[in-house]
Amino acid sequence: MTRKISKIALNLILLLLGVVTVYPFVWMLASSFKKNSEIMALEQHLLPQIFTAENYINMNERFNFMRFFANSLFVTIAITVIVIYTSTICGFVLSKYRFKGRNLIFGFVLSTMMIPWCVTIIPKYSMIQAFDWMDSYKALIIPAMFSGFGIFMMKQHIASLPDEILEAARIDGANEFYIFHRIVFPMSKNGISSIAIFQFLWAWEDYLWPYLVINTQEKQLLSVGLKMFNGQYSTDYGALFAATAISIIPVLLIYLFFQKQFIAGIAASAVKG
Amino acid sequence: MFKKSHPLQSKSEIILRNIVVVAMVIFFTVFLIVPIAIAFAGSFHDWNPLSGTYDFLGVQNYIDVFTSGLFWNSMLNTLIFSVVVIIFRVGLGLAIAYAIYSTLVKHKSFFRAVYYMPVVTPMVAVAFVWKFMYNPQIGTINQIFGLDVNWLMNPKTALAAVMIMTIWKDFGYAVVMYMAGLYSLPADALEAAKVDGANAWQTFKYITFPLLKPMTMFVTITSIISYIQAYVQILIMTEGGPGTATYLSSYIIYDEAFVKYNFGYASALSFVLFVITAFFTWLSFKVSGSEE
Repeated sequence: MTRKISKIALNLILLLLGVVTVYPFVWMLASSFKKNSEIMALEQHLLPQIFTAENYINMNERFNFMRFFANSLFVTIAITVIVIYTSTICGFVLSKYRFKGRNLIFGFVLSTMMIPWCVTIIPKYSMIQAFDWMDSYKALIIPAMFSGFGIFMMKQHIASLPDEILEAARIDGANEFYIFHRIVFPMSKNGISSIAIFQFLWAWEDYLWPYLVINTQEKQLLSVGLKMFNGQYSTDYGALFAATAISIIPVLLIYLFFQKQFIAGIAASAVKG
Repeated sequence: MFKKSHPLQSKSEIILRNIVVVAMVIFFTVFLIVPIAIAFAGSFHDWNPLSGTYDFLGVQNYIDVFTSGLFWNSMLNTLIFSVVVIIFRVGLGLAIAYAIYSTLVKHKSFFRAVYYMPVVTPMVAVAFVWKFMYNPQIGTINQIFGLDVNWLMNPKTALAAVMIMTIWKDFGYAVVMYMAGLYSLPADALEAAKVDGANAWQTFKYITFPLLKPMTMFVTITSIISYIQAYVQILIMTEGGPGTATYLSSYIIYDEAFVKYNFGYASALSFVLFVITAFFTWLSFKVSGSEE
């Protein structure tokens, strides 16, 4: 009997916490379909009383929001694909090959994760100016091509792949490029999907770097656009809600789609340490 | 070490290895080591890219950092912010993970997925959502609780408001980490406790919690590193205000570097934060290592 009561109580508490967790998303999404008069009204309802999509239409006409969205999507996908590839190949070399200096390089890669963004961002900004990369996507993509976190994750994952498989392929005469691309890469799905989601999120939410290196408005990314939009139309709450919703939805979709492998992957790497 | 994986290195292995190692070394040299060196040198200069100044100052920037009231104010804010958020993050994370792990709860992966959702949403966007939720006119928080508080404009509530938002965004990470930790616990230790007649609380206190210590360390260290660097929520929600009530250390760097263009001073400040981060990381490793 007490077991049943504590079971119900525990589940209710967890459910309540779940509601608190999800509520801001629901509130924002519901508000984005309200008219401004309803958002400002004294009497409030969570769901729109009169459903309208005009916030989304206005926002795009006035602010060209889809352009920012497309820019962000392009840059984020480019960075994510490159980082997946470089992390996997570096992880493969660092975990399956034995050579002098390997541990030194890996220790170095690990330590890069501890360096705060603020230490390198000023010199990087000056370097981008010196390279004449300002206002081009080179400035966003090239400094992000390798990731200490990604290399660390993939080294952990690939280390647990059995050597015998690679050995068998070598005996069959496969060269290392074939082994990496056709055997190791397809077998690293869990690790790759955790990097994919994290790297996608990080590139998508990055604010300061695109704000610093991109000057032309048509080339700007969504997170910077969101802040500009908030400055310009600070009273058009409906449109602000719509803009915010658009900047969250792609990331949430990717997460919900991959979440199983992703959570398994990210947690496994921490347990292994 | 003695496992013979492939004693003879093939030509393709050497080529692949060299390409990868050279690329990695070049990349991290250009985008990490060189910038750190430039920033270190710059921290001893009066460096302003707008006026083109780059004059040697010695340690003056560091003296300015340590004699600045705003710096100490921001350090205090960062300390309060980090300690409170980490306590809630670890406490909630552990409690919730333990609840989900227990046999009383069925839909484990559902709860885990829900709590993790804020972790994987962009900070800029959720900071805006919360800024609207705290809004005294249209915000949902005053309406739900029947309050009349201008959360982000009142120096007494502003930092707390940003902390609540950060806890909401980050606790799910600790839940997932602790769940992974719980599922990898040795079953025999828990079994032995049961046989010895330990009750649920005793089992948790004497067995589960000590066994989870590496995970607690891991979550705490990564949290310290990330909260010393936190600035996006401040930039979006309060811009350090009202007054200086929500200035966090990283936000001053943003402000000095890219609003006022005091590159030299901002570099000195970043090295101070770098040393603090490194110190806490070292300390946590030492504390966790000495008891094993």
